[in-house]
Amino acid sequence: MGPFKKDSNGTLLALTSSALLLPAYQAARAEAPPEYTELGLRYSNYEEDDTAGSKTFGGSSERMEVDAAQFHLLAPVADNWSVALDVAWEDMSGASPWFVGQSAEGDDKIVMSGASIEDTRTEVSVTTRYYYERGGAGFNYTRSDEDDYESDAISVDGSFDSSDGQTTYSAALSASADDIHPTQGFIPTNTVEDEKDIRSAWIGVSRIISKRAMLRFGLSYTYRDGFLTDPYKLLDQRPDRRNEWVLQGGYRQFLVGPNAALHVDYRYFDDDWGVDAHTVDFAWHQNIGERTALIPFLRYHTQDKADFFANSVDISERYYADDYRLSAYGAISLGLRLRHDIGNWRLNLAAERYKSDNGWGIYGGEEAPALVNFWRTSIGLDYRFR
Amino acid sequence: MQSFEHSFSAMGGPCKIHIECQQERTALAALSAAEAEVRRLESKYSRYLSNSITSSINSSAGIAPVAIDEETAGLLNYADTVWQESAGLFDLTSGVLRHAWDFRSGLIPEARLIESLLAKVGWQRLQWTQSSAFLTEPGMELDFGGCVKEYAADSAASILRSNTIEHALVNLAGDLASVGGQGSGQPWTIGVRHPQSRNQAAASLELVDQALASSGDYERFIEFEGKRYGHILNPLTGWPVQGLAAVSVTGPQCLVAGSAATLAMLKPENEALKWLHTLGLPWVAVNYRGQAFSADGPGGSQFESE
Repeated sequence: MGPFKKDSNGTLLALTSSALLLPAYQAARAEAPPEYTELGLRYSNYEEDDTAGSKTFGGSSERMEVDAAQFHLLAPVADNWSVALDVAWEDMSGASPWFVGQSAEGDDKIVMSGASIEDTRTEVSVTTRYYYERGGAGFNYTRSDEDDYESDAISVDGSFDSSDGQTTYSAALSASADDIHPTQGFIPTNTVEDEKDIRSAWIGVSRIISKRAMLRFGLSYTYRDGFLTDPYKLLDQRPDRRNEWVLQGGYRQFLVGPNAALHVDYRYFDDDWGVDAHTVDFAWHQNIGERTALIPFLRYHTQDKADFFANSVDISERYYADDYRLSAYGAISLGLRLRHDIGNWRLNLAAERYKSDNGWGIYGGEEAPALVNFWRTSIGLDYRFR
Repeated sequence: MQSFEHSFSAMGGPCKIHIECQQERTALAALSAAEAEVRRLESKYSRYLSNSITSSINSSAGIAPVAIDEETAGLLNYADTVWQESAGLFDLTSGVLRHAWDFRSGLIPEARLIESLLAKVGWQRLQWTQSSAFLTEPGMELDFGGCVKEYAADSAASILRSNTIEHALVNLAGDLASVGGQGSGQPWTIGVRHPQSRNQAAASLELVDQALASSGDYERFIEFEGKRYGHILNPLTGWPVQGLAAVSVTGPQCLVAGSAATLAMLKPENEALKWLHTLGLPWVAVNYRGQAFSADGPGGSQFESE
């Protein structure tokens, strides 16, 4: 035990976080209906780096760019209900890899689709949530519309706190029905019309393990059934079923000295296509005064290839794909988020740089020439009122 | 909007709960639930009641561990944090020292008496887990007086909220917790009494969903070799602390505000004022020379002096 601590604000934080574990303050901490109406607008830009000329037939090529605008509304209704409306508009343009071919020298090179893709997507999502004494339950309906794709999804979820308020159990179920009708353009598509269904279940538990630390675990299972092949890829023939499992764990530690919180998350993915993947996230939530937070984050992802992936596919096989997303690679994301409150307004800024490379992964396997690097940036403004 | 007020006596002093709400039935149900909560905590933690958990821990001192529930473990856990943050000056086992000091007589106790009582003080000699507590030395005493009244104010306010009350003020003998502001939209305004005059406020603090706790009493002190000592005792020396006369702090929890006020009282005056100034919560402090200080201005501006 050291001398009487000089940092009174640090002492205040320590006392507060210790006090909040007492039963009298639990009611305030359990999942509670929002006290405010919240309106938010966000604009984000996602831009993939051009593909190097050495990796394509026909010189360097631009790739996809997505501009997105999002609107968010969350409002309390009556005493124990809330309703949220989320609308997103996305404008996609650019070119995507069509197939991988082999040059005269035997190198794997990409044939791009040409800068021909133009698509817009609109997504509307409505969520209603009911709050009971020791948790809450929600229902969500989401409709997404693109030129070549329609999706309807519903989900239900619920959470329940243990009697001491230290442990929260949650579970969710979701289902979606998607229709695919590829637009016929410059490249031929491998289907005219198809559909797929997705079912997913999730369970999770989080526990406050000390005055300043929290631990959580989650397990999810997803079953996809239907047309899972990419309609815009020439050399793509995938199974029409996919079973996926995800195991995740997270740790949060608040540190009084620096007035910051460390978030560490790990995620393990496994499916019956032979893909397994590990993802680790680190984020440092640095509070600067009471109104500002700066959050640098780092993510590492590594995955194994699908059983039927090859740069040079054998189309006599039952399944094949040269899609880089099914190849073995490693990826690193580095980003920074800023949050600043001004009265009832909150400004959110974020920038993220993502790079992927076959050599950064822990799994061996052919390097897909189409591996992607991108920038993502966003600016958002939220407004709260009673 | 109607006003409802209920007074009762608990936690060693006068208690008053004030509610503003539309429906009488809602208000009366909330008032009785809040009073019941205060009485529940009093009978659970009072060291004067033989069937309280405090009494059973104290009567088992040096004999056997006593089973405790989560709320008690939570309070011990909290008290442990305050003990650590105060480098041992806030100690729930220091109550035995009161047997030496009689602030009414103003007599200085014999050093030998203080020494013998100090042998029975020491937070580190309380062994506790999430389900049991054990004072390892016979004669040791645990006293939740340093935090239970403040906790009860918060808990009563929480009960009022869960009874759909939006405007209320709980006052447990000077420890206050508010629910919202007044029905008129104004904050609750609390005057801190001037040290020289009973009817004059030295400062006023405004509360909306906030609590106010005070420590110290400028009428209870001992004068020794020309110095004034308050009734807050240092568990390391057995002597009263020579610091400020009284401190009031407002904050989201009465419990935390109360501990902050007590910690300020445990420091010498100048250090206490510096410490309060960086605390990040509104406060008012008064010294034995009758000077009042507040959070306004750099270094705690002096706004009233003799």
